[in-house]
Amino acid sequence: MYLSTKMLLYNLLAKGIILLFFLMTGPFLLRYFALEDIDAELEDKRDQILDIISQDGMDEFFAGDDSPGGFGSYNILREEYVLLEKMEEPFLLDSIFNEERILDNVTVSYRVCAYVFSFEEEIYLMEIGKSLETINRIIDLISGIILSLLLAFLATSFFLDNFFSKRLIQPFKKIIRDKISHINEPQQFMHEPVKTSTRDFKMLDEAISDMMWRIQKAFNQERVFISHASHELRTPVSILQTKIEAFFGDENLDPREMERLMDMQETIQKLKKIINALLLLSKVNNAQFLKTETVSLDGLLEALFEEWQALAKGRSLDLHLEIRDKFAFRQSNASLCHIMVQNALSNALKYAYENTSIQMIGKREPAEYQIHVINEGPEISEELMEQVAAGLVFLKDAKKESSGFGLQIIFKIAGFLGVKVRVESNNTSGTRFIFCFPIN
Amino acid sequence: MRVLLVEDEKLLAEELVLYLGKEQMVCDWASTYAEASESLAVNQYDFIFLDLGLPDGDGLDLLAESKTYQKHALVIILTARADVDDRVRGLEMGADDYLSKPFSFLELKARMQAILRRKSGWNKEEIKIGGFVLDLDSWMVAFQGEKILLTKKEFSLLHFLLIHPNRVINRFQLAEHIWGDHMEDDYQSNYIDVHIKNIRKKLGSYASVKWLETVRGVGYKIKT
Repeated sequence: MYLSTKMLLYNLLAKGIILLFFLMTGPFLLRYFALEDIDAELEDKRDQILDIISQDGMDEFFAGDDSPGGFGSYNILREEYVLLEKMEEPFLLDSIFNEERILDNVTVSYRVCAYVFSFEEEIYLMEIGKSLETINRIIDLISGIILSLLLAFLATSFFLDNFFSKRLIQPFKKIIRDKISHINEPQQFMHEPVKTSTRDFKMLDEAISDMMWRIQKAFNQERVFISHASHELRTPVSILQTKIEAFFGDENLDPREMERLMDMQETIQKLKKIINALLLLSKVNNAQFLKTETVSLDGLLEALFEEWQALAKGRSLDLHLEIRDKFAFRQSNASLCHIMVQNALSNALKYAYENTSIQMIGKREPAEYQIHVINEGPEISEELMEQVAAGLVFLKDAKKESSGFGLQIIFKIAGFLGVKVRVESNNTSGTRFIFCFPIN
Repeated sequence: MRVLLVEDEKLLAEELVLYLGKEQMVCDWASTYAEASESLAVNQYDFIFLDLGLPDGDGLDLLAESKTYQKHALVIILTARADVDDRVRGLEMGADDYLSKPFSFLELKARMQAILRRKSGWNKEEIKIGGFVLDLDSWMVAFQGEKILLTKKEFSLLHFLLIHPNRVINRFQLAEHIWGDHMEDDYQSNYIDVHIKNIRKKLGSYASVKWLETVRGVGYKIKT
């Protein structure tokens, strides 16, 4: 998952949790503070009534004969009431509580302040009530408003976070894309700094650039070394080669001398091949080949088939070609592609049992184009293949007089060209090289 | 034909001068940048064989110089350097071909002929032997007008032998000519025998191919 997506999700989650907390606790808090406010109001009114009683006495409340033992008063909408009642026995009561009253068959919830007091040697119970219906409606309304506001905040915050995190991360993405992901070879690296005001990104950019300077320097040193090593190795071989060729041009040579010269030529040839193989491996490692060509892989298979069909026949082998699909491999190197597949084919011819067949198949799979080179030869051990793939060993097959660079070259070139190589080998079905060329 | 050989390795240069002399070419040898520069200023050359690694300068600078003073000279870079950039730069600067050391004299001659054919704009060039005609333009072999189907490798092999008549060419030289020097297979020289066998079989059904001789244990020779 990308960093920007993670940051966005994290912000959303954190704000979601806060929103949920508000939604869960908001109504309770509102209710709590509303009741606190009502309680204070009721206590204030209780004190006011007590002041009236102490100043004017109880006559105002118990003046008529209708209610000799109590006084009750509701306002028109029954939102508030005051109740005074004479009590026979004294008891202590100073409390505020909720209570439901049925008035004209309608149940009304009240917040009630109940207080027992004595006046002129009489005990009175005073109740002052306030309807909770209005409070409940206000709490519901405020909760709704808060929910809407929080949802609107969350949505706005999501879009703003998305916008800002993308803007903020943009230099980082540029560093990842231009300086890491798209850099296959050190030479491709551009040292132009990424424009950003974020200190961390600047430090990262500088650190990568500094590291790439060192890698490029090492690569260039290796390139120069390869060039010099090549010169120093090839020049003496070249001198030997020309001397022998000069001898070969002598028409007066007898067969025995010719045979000796041929032995020398063979040794020089081996030396040349080893030098060339080592230099090829070094140059591939050092990314000295251009990858600018489009290679027709079906065309490559056809060319190899034409070149090798007669040779296979000469070794009592039957070479088959099966091109199921065509494919052009872009941004590649035709020469290296040819060397890579040809080495697999050469290997197949070398190791296949006589009177068996060798198959070359080109087919397209969903994500890659595959070239299979299959021979019915002896098994290559898995352990050995892993070592070769890791570049740890060079095989030396004395029986086949091979220097053992062939497999190394296959794997090195494949790595350079971005081609995956799989080798399946067993004693029953032989050895199958599968080259997987990425389609995208 | 007059050629300038720019090569700092004395032993190599001596053999090359000798070979080119036998091929009826007049060869001047320059072992340093300064000598080569002087020769370019004084003489006119048909071919310049240029080594890039000179003791007193870069061969690529000399290439630029040759393109100024010797506009019609054909240039083949001969180098032991392995740098791909050198090859690309050399060809971009106007070199006609590039040959990595160690190379065969015969390969050098084949490359010279190919360049001459390309530069001269000849539409048709043929090599005739034993009644067979090799058309180098269309890469076809014919006998009395009838086309004979050879593979590219077989044609290339036959052509290479024919441009070096009466000379023993060993299997390694032939293998290097048709496969280059990158195939990691010591068997490739033995594959030459298979190709020669196929050439003889294909051409032999039309006329005798006794002119294609086997030199036992060494290679092959075209006898004219």
